[in-house]
Amino acid sequence: MATEQGAREQNGQMELHGDELLVVDGVKKYFPITRGIIFQKAIAHVQAVDGVSFSINPGETLGIVGESGCGKSTLARCIVRLLDTTEGRIMFEGRDITNTSRVGMRPIRREMTMIFQDPYASLNPRKRVGFIIGEPLEVHKLGTPAEVKTRVQELLEVVGLNPEHYNRFPHEFSGGQRQRIGVARALAVNPKLIVCDEPVSALDVSVQAQILNLLKDLQDDFGLTYIFIAHDLNVVRHISDRVMVMYLGQVSEVANRETLYREPKHPYTGALLSAVPIPDPVRGRERESIVLEGDVPSPVNPPSACRFHPRCPRFVEGHCDVEEPELRPMGPGHVAKCHYPLERWPMTAAEMRRHGSAEAREEPVQA
Amino acid sequence: MALLEVKDLRTSFKTEDGVVNAVDGVSFTVEKGQTLGIVGESGSGKSVTCLTIMGLNSRRNTISSGEALWKGKDLLTSKPSQLRKIRGDEMSMIFQDPMTSLNPVHTIGKQLVEAVQLHRDVTVRVAKARALELLKAVGIPHAEARIDDYPHQFSGGMRQRVMIAMALINDPDLLIADEPTTALDVTTQAQILNLMKRLQDDFGSAIIMITHDLGVVAETADDVVVMYAARVVEHAKVHDLFQRPQHPYTWGLMGSLPRLETDTERLVQIPGQPPSLLRPPNGCRFHPRCPYVMGVCRTTEPALVGAERDPSHLQACHLDAETKDREGSKLVEATMAEA
Repeated sequence: MATEQGAREQNGQMELHGDELLVVDGVKKYFPITRGIIFQKAIAHVQAVDGVSFSINPGETLGIVGESGCGKSTLARCIVRLLDTTEGRIMFEGRDITNTSRVGMRPIRREMTMIFQDPYASLNPRKRVGFIIGEPLEVHKLGTPAEVKTRVQELLEVVGLNPEHYNRFPHEFSGGQRQRIGVARALAVNPKLIVCDEPVSALDVSVQAQILNLLKDLQDDFGLTYIFIAHDLNVVRHISDRVMVMYLGQVSEVANRETLYREPKHPYTGALLSAVPIPDPVRGRERESIVLEGDVPSPVNPPSACRFHPRCPRFVEGHCDVEEPELRPMGPGHVAKCHYPLERWPMTAAEMRRHGSAEAREEPVQA
Repeated sequence: MALLEVKDLRTSFKTEDGVVNAVDGVSFTVEKGQTLGIVGESGSGKSVTCLTIMGLNSRRNTISSGEALWKGKDLLTSKPSQLRKIRGDEMSMIFQDPMTSLNPVHTIGKQLVEAVQLHRDVTVRVAKARALELLKAVGIPHAEARIDDYPHQFSGGMRQRVMIAMALINDPDLLIADEPTTALDVTTQAQILNLMKRLQDDFGSAIIMITHDLGVVAETADDVVVMYAARVVEHAKVHDLFQRPQHPYTWGLMGSLPRLETDTERLVQIPGQPPSLLRPPNGCRFHPRCPYVMGVCRTTEPALVGAERDPSHLQACHLDAETKDREGSKLVEATMAEA
C-alpha cells in the first residue's frame, strides 16, 4: 500500500476509493539522448513526463491542458501503453497494466482506445473507411465479416456520416468528416475509456463545434470516460469535468472545471487564462493579459526547484528556485503546486507581482 | 486617399478539375494606422485575397481582375519590378508558418540584412545595425549573439518574432499578417499580439490581420471583414459586428465558440461543410447550411449592402432587418450571459 499512500499524498485531492477507472501514479517518462553509433551511450534525458499522478472516475472527463512540449501527449501515449513508462504505475480498473506484455494488453485495448490529433495523418490513405473502422473488430475477433459490416455502418451513422460511404477512401472526406471516422474507429470496440489527443485542434471552428457536440452526445449515450488533451482552454472548459494543467512534464494544478476557471491558484494557470483572447471587443481590450516572458525551457535540463520559476511573475528568490513546491490542497478537489498561490482572481500583472512579503511565506494557505 | 483600396477583387485558379474562384468580388479599404481583421474558415479566400494584393500568386494558372489601389496606384497591373520595390518596403507580410518561412541555410542576420539591402543603398554594417535594432524591438534576448544563429536554433515563438522583425525592418506602411499566431501557444500568442500592437503604436503602420480566431479579431481589429466561400458576407466596425451581428454565418461562428466565461451545454453548430469552390451553391452561398434559409436564398445572391439601422454595417443576407436584429441580439445575450 506504500505506493497508493504515496499517490494520495502527492495528489492531495484524491482519496482512492477503489472504483477509479484509471489511476496514474507517479508516472515518469524519460527519453534518452544518445551519442555513438554502435555503442550508444545515454548522455542526457528528456524528462518529458516527470512524476504525474491522477485518477479518473467512470463517466468523467478529465481535461489536460498545457503548452506544446509540456508532456501531455507523451502522458497519453504512456496511458494507452504506446510507450513504456520509465517509472511509476498505471492501474486500469484496478489492474496494474504498467508492465503487461503485448499479448496481455490485447484484451485491455478493447477497453481503452485513442483519438488522434491529425485527421489527415491518422487514417491509412490506402484503406477504405469500412476497413479502417472495422479493423479493431477484426483484431479482437468480434463477429463475422457480415456482422462487422453491419456494425461499421451503424458506427458511421452514430458519428453522423452516411453509412453508404463505407467503401470510400479517406481522401474523399473533409477534415471534420475524417475526425468523425477517427471517432468511429475509437468507438468500434465499445471501450470504457477514450483518450483524445487534441482531437479538434486541426479543425475549423464550425466543424470543431460539431465534433465537440458529438463527443458529448456519445458520452451521454454510451457512458464513456474521456481523457481530453488540448491546448485550447476554451475547448477544455467546454468538455471537461475536471481539468489538470501541466507545465514541463509536471502537474501544476488540478481542479474542478468551475473552480479552475473561476479561482485559479497557480500563477501559470492565471497567465494561461489571461492570455486567451476574448471574443468581445469591449471586455477583451479592457482586460490586461499577463504576458509571460520567454519560452518554455528545455525538458532536458529543466529549471531547479519549481520549474516555472524563471517565467513566474511571483518568483521569490531564494525560495522558489531552491525548494520545490508540493501539490498542496487549495480547496475541495483542488490542488496546486506553488509556494505563493494566487489570493484571488482576476488579477492584473502588477497585482500578481505584488505579494512576496514575509508573512505570505509563513502563513499556510487556507484550504 | 485610403492607403489601400481593394475594389471587386477576383482571383481564380485553373486546376485540373476546373476553374476555382478563390476570391469572388471582394472590396475593402485600409486606412493609415488602422487594423482590418479578415475572418473566415479555411478555404474562404482570406489568404488568397492578400496574396493577390501582394502579387504573390503563381502567374501560370492565376487570373485576377478588379483593382487593388495602393496609394492610388493599381497593384494588379503593376510590373513585377515595380511590385518588388513595394513589397518588403512599403508593404510587407508575415506568413503563417514560422517553421517554413525562413531560409534554413542562412543565418537570420543574413536574411534580415538582405531585406534591408534590397530596398536601401546602405553598407552591410548599417543594415546589420538596423537588423539588431529590430531584433531587440521584437524582444529577442541576447540579440547581439543570436543574430548569427540559424533558424533551427530558435523556438517557434522566436522564429515568429524574427519574421515580424523582417516584415517591419523597412518601416512598412502596411503589414499583412496571415494567421501570425495560429501555430503558437496562447502565452506566446499573447506576447506576439502585444508586440504587434506596440509596434503599430510606435510606427503607425496599418495592419491586415487574417485569422480564423474571433478572439484575436475582437482584441486587435478596428474593422472586420467576414468571408465565406470566396465572398464577403459581413463588414463592420468591430464593436458593431460583435454587438449586432447581422449575418447567419457570423452568428454560427460566434455560437460555435466555446468560451471561458460562459457555460453552454451544447455549442451552436453550423451543419455540413464549407462548399467546394469548384461548384459553389446557387444563390446565397451559405444557404445549404443556413437555418434561416428561404426560397429566395436558393435562387438570388444577396448583395453586400448597408444594414437598415446602420448603413456603414455591410451585410449580404436576404433576411428582414427585424429578424436579424432579434436573432443577433439573442445570440449576443446568450454568449455574453455572465459578462
